[in-house]
Amino acid sequence: MELPRNITHYMKHPDNPADSPELRAGKLYKYVMENKRPVITDENLLAGTTTARTIGVVLYPDFMALSIWPELETISRRKKNPFGITRAEIDELNFDIFPYWLDRTIQEVARKDNGNPLCQRIMERIVFYIATKVYSISHTVPNYAMVVERGLLDIIREARERELSPGSSKEDRAKKDFYQAVQLSLNGIISYAANLSREADRLAAKEVDTKRRQELLEMAEVCKRVPAERPRTFREALNAIWICKIALHQENANVALSLGRLDQVLYPFYAEDIKRGMTLAEAVELIGCFWLKIADHVPLSPETGEELFGGSGSNQAVTLGGVDIKGADAVNDLTYVVLKATELLRLRDPNVNARYYPQVSKKEYLDRLCEVNINTGATPCFHNDASAVEALSGQGVSLEHARDYSSVGCVEPSSGGRTYGHTGCILMNLTSALEMALWGGKHRLTEDEQIGPKTKPAVAMTSFAEFKKAMETQLGWLIDQVVTLNNNLGRAHQEIHPTPMLSAFMEGCMEKGKDVISGGATYNSSGAAMIGLADVVDSVTAIQEFVFDKKKFTMAEIISAINADWSVPYKKLQAMVKASPEKFGTDSRMARANADWLIGFLHDTFQGKENYRGGKYTVGYWTMTNHAGFGALTGALPSGRMKNEPFASGITPVSGSAPVLTSCLNFVARLDHTRIADGHALNLKYTPSTTTMSRFADTVEAFFKMGGLQVQFNIIDRKTLEDARKYPEKYPDLFVRVSGYTAYFKDLNPHMQQEIITRAEYDLGTGEEQKYG
Amino acid sequence: MFDIEKFISGLSVDKAMDRLGERFLKSLEDETAETFLEALLAFMKIKFMFDPAYRKNIEEFRGRYQFRSKDGGVAVLVNFEDGDMKIREKTSDDVNVTVSFKDGRALMNFLLSANRDILRGLLNNEVLVAGNLNYMYKFGFMANHLQLELTGNLP
Repeated sequence: MELPRNITHYMKHPDNPADSPELRAGKLYKYVMENKRPVITDENLLAGTTTARTIGVVLYPDFMALSIWPELETISRRKKNPFGITRAEIDELNFDIFPYWLDRTIQEVARKDNGNPLCQRIMERIVFYIATKVYSISHTVPNYAMVVERGLLDIIREARERELSPGSSKEDRAKKDFYQAVQLSLNGIISYAANLSREADRLAAKEVDTKRRQELLEMAEVCKRVPAERPRTFREALNAIWICKIALHQENANVALSLGRLDQVLYPFYAEDIKRGMTLAEAVELIGCFWLKIADHVPLSPETGEELFGGSGSNQAVTLGGVDIKGADAVNDLTYVVLKATELLRLRDPNVNARYYPQVSKKEYLDRLCEVNINTGATPCFHNDASAVEALSGQGVSLEHARDYSSVGCVEPSSGGRTYGHTGCILMNLTSALEMALWGGKHRLTEDEQIGPKTKPAVAMTSFAEFKKAMETQLGWLIDQVVTLNNNLGRAHQEIHPTPMLSAFMEGCMEKGKDVISGGATYNSSGAAMIGLADVVDSVTAIQEFVFDKKKFTMAEIISAINADWSVPYKKLQAMVKASPEKFGTDSRMARANADWLIGFLHDTFQGKENYRGGKYTVGYWTMTNHAGFGALTGALPSGRMKNEPFASGITPVSGSAPVLTSCLNFVARLDHTRIADGHALNLKYTPSTTTMSRFADTVEAFFKMGGLQVQFNIIDRKTLEDARKYPEKYPDLFVRVSGYTAYFKDLNPHMQQEIITRAEYDLGTGEEQKYG
Repeated sequence: MFDIEKFISGLSVDKAMDRLGERFLKSLEDETAETFLEALLAFMKIKFMFDPAYRKNIEEFRGRYQFRSKDGGVAVLVNFEDGDMKIREKTSDDVNVTVSFKDGRALMNFLLSANRDILRGLLNNEVLVAGNLNYMYKFGFMANHLQLELTGNLP
């Protein structure tokens, strides 16, 4: 409640609408941080909380908080992920806070500015795409190196100097406003740290436990210094980053606001403290404290969101290992300390991403990564530096900056702290384009409405080329719509929601005198994640094989079959389609050609679009829980998939269609990763009893040597997962890899649980998929 | 159109509220929920008239809502302005939000948390909202509150 209360109060009273958007934001966040309560309620060694509670939900009234308005009086009692709320809080939201925002949320400002455009109305049909700027722009990695190498006072000093530089043109005035906004908001963060320091002192004075009193006194000293000054110790550096991250959580909803290469950023402080006598156990404890802190808030979803897409955490990625900017092995002792804390705590957040460079990284490092994955069952995930660096270089990122990449959110490689890539701004359901290609621009869910352009109905098509052409027309139209929407929303952010704090922690903004949302970062791009790749490739391939090549049945028959959800008269036909070896993830040349065509078309079309900051659009294949949500809304497909079944996740083959592990790895590894610059998630499941460390490491090494970009594993069997579904109370902390991130199995919606249970499980002894059912 | 005044004619305020509340609850139990919208709006109106705590929801609030059935059989314009609620059988483009629904049951599933079957609504293309969604969220709160109050489930 603290954040919506403070933001709304400020906007109703002291705000001056005559100020520029940047200045308004600077003043607002100064107020928000100065008035943020210092809360120290747990025994953590680090100070600061995202909300005024030990663990809480943050409501962002300017984004999507109003979507829970209808549920305010029932949300504390709903079955899935209930949130505690008092009567007084309900009344305050209903009568005082929400009404102010009726016409002022990003979504509604964008709608009004653009006359309720078609692209926005299409999103509200849910099944086509989601543009995530309606609830945040935080899918990025801030430059925390700047925080620990300089301290905020030095950044404020630079902003002040730049503000005082000569010039009075309109552009100069805009820059000066930006520099003022940076100073105001960072001073707000310093005030918050000072309040934390005073609170720690106050608590220490009445603490009877000697050990805790000492911890609180140290905490008070830490917050007296950081983040204002450059930290001197490992603990100060961690607390500096945490306080700045708390500030960023006030500015934007934490949707994959990621941490970057912590083992690199923090190593100098760690090494110094080890020299001074810090033990490994103390270092692990501090990382553990940080892990617990970053999980101090949970995302807010209305019931519909929970039902379709629920179970996701904040997807805060931390990146470990890999190479340095010169290409040398960057794995250090702190990398192993972070892995140890991860192994011990087994938490949903952060999402631990390990970088590995074949031929450069050491074998013992890969072995340790595999060991942690076996022990935790689901983390870390593995990135191939060679392919990721090549993919980023292809987007104009310099070689040194590409080598310094870190993962955003699920899996998206990004040159951390210098790229504003909003890597998850678009989530597009590829099967909706397939539907429209089959029905001449209509979709079964929206019935007779002409949604996309009118293309020839599939039943009248005489060649596979004609069908592909219709697919391209519908895909191209969908891309036009979703890009227009993302750009509209981006401009709405520029108008009402600049982000001075994120901009202060992003390379490029200070030099350009521009906010991140206006193109201040060194590199600018927007990322679009595609949902349903393998299902669409398998469907298109089935049409090619059975309708046009072998002529086993007609397009009319396949359409009747899917309209009837492959029911009894079509069961034989379905069995034939499903048994075909021409599938995504096999040795099929036909499926490979279709995958290459689709990935190439999406990359080329998105790259041809410019975002509202003058950057390019990149394409990725990771799905969070959206493959289950979109799957639940989608009818049967020509691939043999039945109505409402989840799609395959990320870039993973459809369960049951890629029976040989080596073929699966080979298929995905050979896809052109330079056309997958927004990353991909290959989700595999290994049977625990057959997963030795050496076999496991060999599969990762082989995949990467073939050029694979990213892979992640659940080391768990179906029997355990089925038991966990049946008896969730027996598995309160069972966590699983979803599609890019980890989640607690019990929190996932039923569609998502089913997808993880049925996901292909490989026996590493035989290299074959274990049969399901 | 349901004639509220006739329905409550001669009744005390409390009695009138009870009768309209009962009618609203009854509409929820009906198989097709054919009368759901008019029962909800009628009960809402009388609550705004005689319950100051509930009226607080629309003080200093201006919002225009169009409800219409997909078959064209129902077209209701609801106008909230400075503590007053007006219900008219009319179509207008000058509204904050338009809700098109397949039938009363679909609208009920969409609006009320306790009766929700959102997935079914989406799958069957049963309800379509066009315009400012925040106004719909506010209306959703007011509708849910009535049901929770009548069933003794307010937090």
